[in-house]
Amino acid sequence: MKSALIAFFSGAKAEFIQLKRSPFLIILTIIQAITFIFLVNFFGTTGAFAPTALVDYDKGVYSKKFIQNLQDAHHSFDLKFMDTKSATDAINKGNVVAIITIPKGFSEAISQGKLQTIKVVVNNIDTDMTADIKRALPSAITRFGQDLNLPGIHVEAKESDLINHDTGFIPYLMVSALVLSAFIISGILGAVAVAQEFELGTILLLVSSPVRPLIPLLGRIMTTSVISVFAMLVAVLIVVLGHGVYPVHPLEMFFALLFCIIIFGCIGAALGAAMKRTLPVASLVFGISLPLYLFSGAYEPERFDGSAIWGITHFFPIYYAVGIMEHAVLDLKVTPESVFVNFLALFGFAVLALLTAGFFLRRAVS
Amino acid sequence: MVVRIPLEDVILVRVQAPQQKFQRYQTFTSGNLMISVITFKNVSYKIGNKIILDNISLDIAKGSITGILGPNGAGKTTLLSLINGLHAHTAGVITVLDEKLPLNPNLRKHIGVVLQENALYEELTTFENLEFSASLYDVKNVKERIDNVLTLLKLSDRKNQIVRTLSGGLKRRVAIARSFIHDPELLIVDEPTLGVDAETRHAIWSHLKLLKSSGRTIIVATNYLDEAQALCDTVAVLKSGKLQVVETPEELLSRTGICIDVACSEQTGKAVSAAIKKTKNIVRIDKTSSGLSIFIKSKTAPKDIIDTILQDSTVEGFKTRAPDLAEVFKTL
Repeated sequence: MKSALIAFFSGAKAEFIQLKRSPFLIILTIIQAITFIFLVNFFGTTGAFAPTALVDYDKGVYSKKFIQNLQDAHHSFDLKFMDTKSATDAINKGNVVAIITIPKGFSEAISQGKLQTIKVVVNNIDTDMTADIKRALPSAITRFGQDLNLPGIHVEAKESDLINHDTGFIPYLMVSALVLSAFIISGILGAVAVAQEFELGTILLLVSSPVRPLIPLLGRIMTTSVISVFAMLVAVLIVVLGHGVYPVHPLEMFFALLFCIIIFGCIGAALGAAMKRTLPVASLVFGISLPLYLFSGAYEPERFDGSAIWGITHFFPIYYAVGIMEHAVLDLKVTPESVFVNFLALFGFAVLALLTAGFFLRRAVS
Repeated sequence: MVVRIPLEDVILVRVQAPQQKFQRYQTFTSGNLMISVITFKNVSYKIGNKIILDNISLDIAKGSITGILGPNGAGKTTLLSLINGLHAHTAGVITVLDEKLPLNPNLRKHIGVVLQENALYEELTTFENLEFSASLYDVKNVKERIDNVLTLLKLSDRKNQIVRTLSGGLKRRVAIARSFIHDPELLIVDEPTLGVDAETRHAIWSHLKLLKSSGRTIIVATNYLDEAQALCDTVAVLKSGKLQVVETPEELLSRTGICIDVACSEQTGKAVSAAIKKTKNIVRIDKTSSGLSIFIKSKTAPKDIIDTILQDSTVEGFKTRAPDLAEVFKTL
């Protein structure tokens, strides 16, 4: 038992020294994880606020009101005030996606209850952006008519919120990005620690030694897990300080991320043992992280994506981890399962991941 | 125990006698009592239907250096990996240090392994590599032991150097140092001087002889005949997984004898061959791109043969040399 402990901590120490002497691996891994957070950020910020030229020939009271309604349309228009010529130039150069022209006499016609036509030119190079414009315009027009009590428009929206606070899209995305960062950091470090043993040939020395080779390897994985915890602190700080998202239940967040690090570190170790090469295994972990991200309920609670996808996501620990994290950080309930059930599921996945890593490691060294 | 070991430059080191593991297993060869450290009895190793080692029987004597010779793919590394437990034999019986394989963890404590690749942790220092290895073997007084081993292999000045920055030869020495950090009785070395320069080769041979002098048994796989000659008491020659012969390097060399390379034209070569075939003591004549290689029995004076050649023919030049491994294999 004492020999095993010595070998375990020697493995841990050797890994720590190695990582300390090659800090680039840690730095690059953290950068990869942070890149992921920025990637998510861009998902949230791009595709919204379409740059739109607004040509106002009226400049009356109602045109100003209509412009205000356009600006209020949620995440839709980034209005740029222009004349017809510069607007045409801008759309031809690709600087704006659409031109909205308010005709002369617009305010007068509205005050007299007459029909008014607003000319809209759309650059339909991307149907997604075009559809955004098509959706946002009627919404702004309806709001305009509603505010002015125009005849023929009878809409009253009475919103009743399920949750007592609104959550920004980007903070929502950030939480799943944190889980994926844990996957990237601990997955890559765990995978590289194991694969390196095969690449250097040192695994043969472990196999021919009196201790079980798994023991020093587990020591190494423990070190990569501890380093992953510190690396995750960087990612969490970016989310907290960069986006002002303060976790509501910090302990819950800590334990959820800890489970993630254990599970993903073991998955990394299993991949490292299966592939036995550092370069492909690091790329693979990063590659896997992208589909997992989409399966994590990154954009909205996963059950909104249909029962088939929702059912599949239950086979991935990320689903439960995101469920806990959204609750821990933003006080949201995005899974029908309770936080306790999600933790139980993560515990189960941690045991399974340990067994899987053990299986692959044993197979690789036998 | 303090022993004085004669080397090129005399060094005084503290060498612990290896812990004696075995006592009982003994065989008799050539009328002398020989204590066997390793015994192969009709051992075979197959992967699927492919036979890698075929019906090997071999005894390795205590305190000796035994060379496993053979061309690439002959099964040398596989034979070593059966001893150190990296592979399991599929037929026969292997006894190592008085115990039948498979190896148990206790037995592994008495075996040191130097793999074909150095297999060192490149980002760790020499000391840290040895320290890690010591932890696997539960070595006591680790620092003192490492210092002793580093002194023995003249690596003390490289103690705190990161292995990545060491030359190939130094890395090989660190790998050897690591293999006996736990003071094993048996040292298994695969290609001890693969890819190192001539000076380092001689240094490594000296180190291995030094380890032998402190009572260890060493088994070495090599491709080089001069290495076997310089190091080994006995050589076992493998060819296509079969054991061809077990004898001393001198006996092995005497099979092929001394080689005389004669540089001459094809026409002259034919005349020379015809002339010396009548002479006694010719083992073999090989045609080469530059003329002929004539192999004569070891006790024959090359001068006599050369005189015979020069009587009737004019050649461009000649030289005598020891035969290489490929030439030896032809005689087996």
